[in-house]
Amino acid sequence: MAHSPLHISCQEVVELVTDYIERTLPADDAAVFEQHLNFCDGCVVYVDQVRLTIDAVGNLSAEDVPPETTDKLMAAFRDWKRQ
Amino acid sequence: MRAYKFLRPDGTGVFTGFHWPLPDGGPGGWVRADVDPCRSGVHACRPGHLPLWIGRALYEIELEGDITDDEMKLAASQGRLLRRIDAWDAQAYDDYTRMCADRGHELASAHGLDNWEAVIEPSVPEGGALLGFVAARIAEEIDGQQGYHRERAAQTDWLIQRLALQA
Repeated sequence: MAHSPLHISCQEVVELVTDYIERTLPADDAAVFEQHLNFCDGCVVYVDQVRLTIDAVGNLSAEDVPPETTDKLMAAFRDWKRQ
Repeated sequence: MRAYKFLRPDGTGVFTGFHWPLPDGGPGGWVRADVDPCRSGVHACRPGHLPLWIGRALYEIELEGDITDDEMKLAASQGRLLRRIDAWDAQAYDDYTRMCADRGHELASAHGLDNWEAVIEPSVPEGGALLGFVAARIAEEIDGQQGYHRERAAQTDWLIQRLALQA
């Protein structure tokens, strides 16, 4: 079925969650986003998790990440690209 | 203008967590905020908006100042709660949920939408907001956006009649 402007899916919530939290969604999109949250407890939990994660790590700088963690992450992304 | 607003049972905003000044023998205190729909402002409902925002506690609210009015909500620069709509109690909430579920069954079975039929009863414990959406989505499957809006309008009529709201 074609996308409806009347509602969004859980997948679309995942795609839009950052814009919603950062309040950059257009008003109509934010309204259908919140309508979805009004009946979907799973997405409420998801949005809360993303919000908490941003609050927890949003102020990290590159210097805050230990070199060994940086190396592991870089290796993981290199492997990911090869797959 | 007079409008309606759903809050959590503890009197906080559903999305903001804002602690509203509740009516206590008279109107609650005025709340003021710049109007920026879905970001800032006092948000409320005309009766036709109510099915989109079903919650556990419903209040009548007075709005003043700058007011925007769109398809899904009102947003104002000032508002105060006038009274709780006592008729919107746990029984009314359950009855609304059941009405929406029954309507979903009626539509789905009449059009052979077995996949939708199957999700209705398992969704009932989630409450009226979800069942209202499910019924409207089934209507949309059958008759496009017109069907969706028609079902939402029927839900609005049910709420107006049951709660004796001013249309």
